[in-house]
Amino acid sequence: MNLVGTRTLLSKEVRRFLRVPGQTVLQPLISTSLYFVVFGFGLGGRQHEVEGVTYISFIVPGLLFLGIANNAFMNASSSIFICKMQGTLVDLLVAPLGPLELLIGFVSGAMVRGILVGVLTWVVAMFFTGFQLVNPLTTLLFIVLTAYVFALLGFLAGIWAEKFEQVNFFPTFLMLPMTFLGGVFYSVQQLPEPWRTVSLFNPVVHMVAGLRHGMLGIEQTSWFGLALLLGAALVSTATGWWMLATGYRLKS
Amino acid sequence: MTAVLEIEKLSKTYKQFTALDSVSLTIERGEIFALLGPNGAGKTTLIGCVCGLIKKSQGLIRVLGADIDADPVKARYNIGLVPQEINFDPFFTVRESLEIQSGYFGVPAQKDHIDSLLKALTLEDKANQTTRSLSGGMKRRLLIAKALVHKPKLVFLDEPTAGVDVELRRDLWAYVQKLREAGTTVVLTTHYLEEAEALADRVGIISKGKLTIVEEKKSLMKRLGERKLQVTFKNAVTLPEALQKEGTLTADGMTFTAIERAGSQPLADTLGRLYAAQLPVSDVSMSAAKLEDVLLRVLSGEAT
Repeated sequence: MNLVGTRTLLSKEVRRFLRVPGQTVLQPLISTSLYFVVFGFGLGGRQHEVEGVTYISFIVPGLLFLGIANNAFMNASSSIFICKMQGTLVDLLVAPLGPLELLIGFVSGAMVRGILVGVLTWVVAMFFTGFQLVNPLTTLLFIVLTAYVFALLGFLAGIWAEKFEQVNFFPTFLMLPMTFLGGVFYSVQQLPEPWRTVSLFNPVVHMVAGLRHGMLGIEQTSWFGLALLLGAALVSTATGWWMLATGYRLKS
Repeated sequence: MTAVLEIEKLSKTYKQFTALDSVSLTIERGEIFALLGPNGAGKTTLIGCVCGLIKKSQGLIRVLGADIDADPVKARYNIGLVPQEINFDPFFTVRESLEIQSGYFGVPAQKDHIDSLLKALTLEDKANQTTRSLSGGMKRRLLIAKALVHKPKLVFLDEPTAGVDVELRRDLWAYVQKLREAGTTVVLTTHYLEEAEALADRVGIISKGKLTIVEEKKSLMKRLGERKLQVTFKNAVTLPEALQKEGTLTADGMTFTAIERAGSQPLADTLGRLYAAQLPVSDVSMSAAKLEDVLLRVLSGEAT
């Protein structure tokens, strides 16, 4: 394995997003913080309770998930797509970097951004809710797996896309509705039927529930969320490996 | 001695289009090989197949004995590529770009080597500027530096001096010669045939995906090169019968032209006969054989 090459790619990916922190870290942080203000304060989130915790505490894990997933996805998809557009992909393809090195480099770089935004979101949340962490290991597992899965999905989308419009397709038409309808801002348990059952088909519901279980100790579905994340990790890793090994949409 | 690059029956087809048609080629250590041909002949496709940018359809490629099918990554440690299209990552400075490229090849950045490359390619004062701020010629030079930063044994220069000014082009030629002296093998494609003429040890001519000629440059020039003699007279003349077979006289009788090819009458003899005939010579000019003419003759099918 080309360890120096992998480390270089990872370091480049991290430095790349840190060169434009306003766009890659600050902007998503401000967006998420606004959710706290609007949903937590503006709509009276401190007063009413959901599943035994204050509403503002209830939305923290979901917003953490949102920050991690969106930023991991965006970083990986934009990075590989820009490489294709700028022609710098040549630098990577001609170098002795196999599928393993490329996957680790790109995905880890995106995970760093996702987790950084997630952790900063959490820090902001602490100003409103204080520090809450019931199951540290479960929380860590969900944070890392969420970052991994969405970084990989972003990577796959970036390889697949041939136009900017296609890169934006997934976050706009898939991730945004899935996360907003995935119990980030409300409890799926309180939805009337058939919407409650319908919502359970949304994988994000279970992923958010798992993180909520880890952070707040509520929700009972963490294992299902974990299984979904592990399954998604497995499938997306295999797909990414296949794309890189065969040169799908990377080599002519 | 193991060849640096061995290509056997390499083919690349895109649906109905054959970009490379059973190309076989061996390149030895330390030589400069110029791959020449018109646009779309298959030069960049051939380089792309060796460098892992293009998936070949058929054939075998070995780089320093390593089969690129058996181990696609191993072979690439020894390869450097200056791509035809300019690319740059605007997030990084010139020095950072070189450090990153070196790292990709598993070589931790070596400051001294990077400094020497920056100096050789006249990029020293741009080292800490972002690549976005470089001019086209500077970006091209950065590509060359990136291709050499990990000290590859085999370097592909695909149109390396396109858009580079004359002075710097000459400097680059000198640098390529130095690389050769240090044992680096260079495969060059260029539309500046003067460049290939100045640098190449061997020449390959590719047309419509087929490698039609692979030959030592000197031997090729001797075999297919043409030297041209042009004599202008003070007043209109009529050529003696013996000279009429050796060249052509313009209709106004003022200019005589003769061409020397392999096996034909030496131009020096023709010139001697012109003077011996006491013709009123006003001016004499002689042009050396040019690779450009050889290429045109081969591509037109006039010579093989």
